Formats: sequence, structure tokens, C-alpha cells
Amino acid sequence: MRSPLRRTRWATALGVTTILALGACSGDDGGESGKDDPILVGISLPLTGDFSEPGKGVQQGYEAWAKITNDKGGLLGRQIQLKILDDQSNADRVVADYEQLIGSDKADLVVGPFSTRLVVPAARVAEEYGMLFVEPAGAAKEVFSQGFKNLFYAAPAVANDHYNLLAEHILALPADKRPKTAAYAAMDDPFAQGTAYGLKDKMEAAGIKTVVNEVYPPNTTDFGSIAAKIATSKADMLVGGSQYQDGVNLIVALQQLNYQPKLAAFSGAPTNPEFAKAIGNKTEGVLSPTGYSVDAPYESNKEFVEKYKAQFGAAPDEDQANAYTTGQVVAAAVTAAGCAEQGDCQKKLVDWVHANKVETVVGPLNWDQTGKPQGAHMIQQWIGGEIKIVLPEPVKEADFVYPKPAW
Amino acid sequence: MPSAALLLQSVILGLLLGGLYALLAAGLTLYFGIMRVVMIAHSAFLILAAYLAWWSHSRFGIDPLLSMIVTVPLFFGAGVLLQRALLSRLRAITLTMMSVLLTFAVALIIEGLLGYAFTGTQRRIQLGYGSASFGLFGARIAVVKLIAFGLAVVALAALYLLMKKTTFGWALRATIQHRDAARLVGIDTEKVAGYGFGLGLATAAIGGTALSLDTTIYPSLHWHWIGPLMAIIVVGGLGSVPGAAAAAVLLGLIQSLLQIPLGTTWAQTIFYLALFATLAFRPQGFFGGRLAQRF
Repeated sequence: MRSPLRRTRWATALGVTTILALGACSGDDGGESGKDDPILVGISLPLTGDFSEPGKGVQQGYEAWAKITNDKGGLLGRQIQLKILDDQSNADRVVADYEQLIGSDKADLVVGPFSTRLVVPAARVAEEYGMLFVEPAGAAKEVFSQGFKNLFYAAPAVANDHYNLLAEHILALPADKRPKTAAYAAMDDPFAQGTAYGLKDKMEAAGIKTVVNEVYPPNTTDFGSIAAKIATSKADMLVGGSQYQDGVNLIVALQQLNYQPKLAAFSGAPTNPEFAKAIGNKTEGVLSPTGYSVDAPYESNKEFVEKYKAQFGAAPDEDQANAYTTGQVVAAAVTAAGCAEQGDCQKKLVDWVHANKVETVVGPLNWDQTGKPQGAHMIQQWIGGEIKIVLPEPVKEADFVYPKPAW
Repeated sequence: MPSAALLLQSVILGLLLGGLYALLAAGLTLYFGIMRVVMIAHSAFLILAAYLAWWSHSRFGIDPLLSMIVTVPLFFGAGVLLQRALLSRLRAITLTMMSVLLTFAVALIIEGLLGYAFTGTQRRIQLGYGSASFGLFGARIAVVKLIAFGLAVVALAALYLLMKKTTFGWALRATIQHRDAARLVGIDTEKVAGYGFGLGLATAAIGGTALSLDTTIYPSLHWHWIGPLMAIIVVGGLGSVPGAAAAAVLLGLIQSLLQIPLGTTWAQTIFYLALFATLAFRPQGFFGGRLAQRF
């Protein structure tokens, strides 16, 4: 429970911020932006609190987008100016932030924060003001069941669709080669379970029998028993709805039991830079869906990776890429509609995004009526000590290896 | 009905896990036996030892087992110090209750310092032999789990010999059985209690190293361990080292087998069900432990 004192302090802080913000705005002539004024993009991000780690990643993605776009002359000849507020990973705070950004700061555009828990309340504010709301990180189904009309998720797929390309590939195998039994182990977490169960539903519908279906609490450290169940079931394929450490622990426990599936896929873990070392380099054939790869040959991706490295001195990650993608979607809409301001323009932007496909660093994106992206994640596989894109065909770096070599 | 292979594998995993539980519970029951102290911080020291093993391995590339050369004497010293400087100052009449508060604070301090020094990120020692195993009647035994089990067996055997065969062990057991009588026959019970406490913490150093071989560690992990360990020493009969060991192996085995039908989440409840049953039907514990009858 939050104490009344803290609540008062919040209110004071908010009040002071609002007054300062109003003061800062008082020099303006009331919001009618001229042709050469910068485009003000309002963002609230969890820079402190639970989501501070990914929140900072998203911030870098937005900053990279603003810099790269401005270096090329901006949008509609106007420079982009970001206004980023810290919502402290707090859902009440994020609402106040977007109210402020739209109401008093007169932001011309707003884009989303990080994670479902903050995206939903933020999207509600944007919806009230009729603003276009593209967001980089709200992938759970709750986001798309609220009836939002202005929301778009700027990533290839929601959690349940991550494995779609893998599912298609498995089902396209000749019947005698196809796996017949499958084992699933997922962390008790909506995202991790969503990925594994999305694939499970498709496999079961195609007649691939589920022989193990385990759910474990997020802090599980001993995977011996789960691994024993999977190993003795001798399932042909193994699917892990994992984040990072749990995936590593499960793989090590399975290797200890000398379990050798024909196919092993884990969400989260295998794309982590530490992964190979963590499981003693026994990575051969491990699969993982990924929303973003620095190696993906999409046209804008090369430019993004190169300029991002120059700006931040390291390669971008999925959080950065999704924020950058958000910027790309907004920029495409603004360029096509020829406007960037509050009011009628926003409706034009929303209609354009609904009707069009946008080329981004994560591939071409389009959306259904609820703002759910219609793509699927790329599938990567560990081959010869490196992780490579194997699906979809047009962007693959290596051929899909099946059955999986022993690990 | 689970297959025979799965049952055998689960029995093996259960016994290996039970061995580790036995070592970890041994220290805990020792504190209670010697001083009537409920040592909430025992598992925090355990995680601390695991972190030291991880740190020395990732920083200097030292095999985690070698870290015990430093951690065991260090923890023994810390135990003596903790007992002499803090716990012996508590008033005898409220000792058991106040020791809960005091050691709770110690646990929080250790957890906080670990978080400060190593952040909350989950850590795991990356060993060359981490996933090595060998077959036994169709089941697999992981080398790291066997090493952990071996450590537990050796440490428990050493503890047993120490308690049964040495003068210090006799003094320690006399102190556990009847403090006043022990003092009457000339045993310096204060000193013995201090060393006994050090001995308990030394088992935590060994247990933590064993734990670090095959599991992820994070600063708040000790809360995950203290509940089952407390349950084990109550079921085993407070203050009885062989009782704790027997209860630990049995409960580890049951937990492992229950995971087949119930899954990971519900299998953990066995500890609390066993605790409840013990308190309801046989408060002195199922494996010896005359001591608890007096409380």
C-alpha cells in the first residue's frame, strides 16, 4: 500500500512539474505550429523502477530515430524534438504523463511507453484525444482487446504468433519426417506461456501429440524433475516458453539426462549473447524466434545498425529496434499524410497506417483493425557455433537444420 | 501411470536432492540444539557461500570446490563471532524468540549486501563438466549433482565423527543435552556454544558451494530455502543431526516423486504438510530428538 504521505508528495511533484511545464509553454502562441517549428514528439518511459532496463533501451531507440531522421533533414522539412518523461514504471504516472504531453505540452505526436502494463493506460489517454498511438512493447492480448482504434504495435508479431513460421515449416515436412510427439515447458508468465502455447495449439491441431506440458514458477532454480519428465517421455520435439535463465537451466538439466530431441526451440534464451557460454557451447541446432536481428537484410536495417553503433558504440537490441520501428511507422504516416499536429491530422495518420504496409528494420509491417501486427517472428538457429536466421526463406542466412544434431 | 524409467530417474534425483537438504539442515538443527536459537540467516549464509564460489570462479577461474579452502574457515570464524558478539547477549528467557528477529535482520543484511555487490541478476557457474553425466540402469546421474551429494555425505560423516569421537564433540553433545549439567562437570559451555555455532556456519559454506555447482543463484534465493529447511529440522526432531538427515532425504525423495503428478509448484507443499502433520501428531519429531519434548 502506498502511504498518504507518498501520495501527497506525488501530487506535489506532479503539480510542480505541470506548473513548470505550463510556464515553459507560456511563451508559445497557443500551439498553432508554424511550418519551420520542430515536430514535438511526446513520450513517457519507465526510466526508473521495474522496467528501467528495457525502458532505457527503448529511449535509445527513440533517440537514434530522432537523430538519424534529423540528420537527413527531418520530417516534412521540420526537425524532430523528443520530449521524454519518466513514468517510474507506474501506471498512474503514465496516464498523467500523456495528459501533460498532449494537453499542456501540445505534443504534435505521441508514441508509446514500454510493456503492456503501461501501454494500455497510455493508449487510453491517446485514444481520448484522438491521437495516433504507435507503441514498441505491448504484445499481450489485453492490448488488442480494449477496442482501441488508434493503436498499432510496431513489431512483427504478438507473443502467440512468435513461432508461426516454425509451425508452418514443421507442418510442411513430409509426414514420415514430421515430429510425432512434443514436450512443452513454460514459465508461469503471460508472455513466455503465450509463445509456447501459440505453437502448441497449432501442433495439436495438426495431430502432434503433447506428451509433457509443464508450467513452472518464475523463480524455479531446480529443473531436474521437469527435465526427467521430458527426457523419459522421449518427445520428438521440445518447446520452451522461457525467458533467459530458466531456459539455460532447463537445457543444462536436459543435457545431464542425455535427452536428444529432433527439434528444440526456446523463446528468449538462445538469442542472449551469454547463451552459448552458459550452456557450455552445446548449442547445436537450438531454435529461437526473434523479433529483430542486426543481420536482417531489410534495407533500413543496415543504416540503422551502422548509425546506431556510431551514436551509442554498441549494436542495437530488440528494445532499441522496436522503438526505432515505432518511429519509422510514425514517420511513414506523417510523410504520406503531409501533416504532423494535433486535431484532424491525427485521423489522417491513423487511417493511413490502417490501410498501408510500412517497411521497417524488422521487415514489412501491416496491422488488423485492433492494431495487432500481421507478421511472424523470424526463426534463428544455432549452426556451427553461431546463431543464424533460417526462416523465412527470403531473409535466411543458412538452411534449417532438421533433425537437430546431438547437443 | 508414470513409466518405470521416470520413477527411477525421479528416485535418483530425489536422493541426490535429499543429500543436499541433509547437509543444509544439519547446521540449522545444530544451532537449535546447542543454543535454542532459530537461525533464520542460515540459508542467507548458504547463498553467500554460493556467491563467493561463483565469484571466485568467474573472477579468477578457480574451481568452485577450491573456494571452500577460504569460505569454510571464514564461515567458522563468522559463526563464532556471531554467537559470541550477538546471540550470547540475548537474555536466556526470550532467547528463542529474539534470535528469530536478530537472525532475520542478519539475513536481510546479507541479502542487501549481495544485491548491492552483485546486483539482482541471476547467476550460474559455467563449468566445463556442467552437463556431463553417466548412465545407471537406464537413468542418468549428473556429475555436478553427484559431487554435491558427495560433499554432503563427506561433510555429514565428518560432523558425525566429530560429535561422536572427539572430546569437543562430547562437550558439544553434553551442552545440547543439558547445559547446566555440562557446566557442572567442567565444560566451558560458552566456548563450546561458540564453536558449535561456527561449525553450523561451516556446513553452510560447504552446502552453498555444493548448491552453486548446479543451480542459479540470486540474492533473495535464501527465502526459498529457509522454509523447507525449517520444516525438515522439525520433522527430524529439533536438535537431532541424524534425525534432520533422515527427514531431509525422505522429504527430498517425496518432493521429487510428487513432481511427477503435481508439477513443480505444488510439490513444494510437501514440506509444509509434513511440518503441519509433525506439529499436530508428533511435535517431538519423527526421528529422535527428545529435546523438542521439553518445549
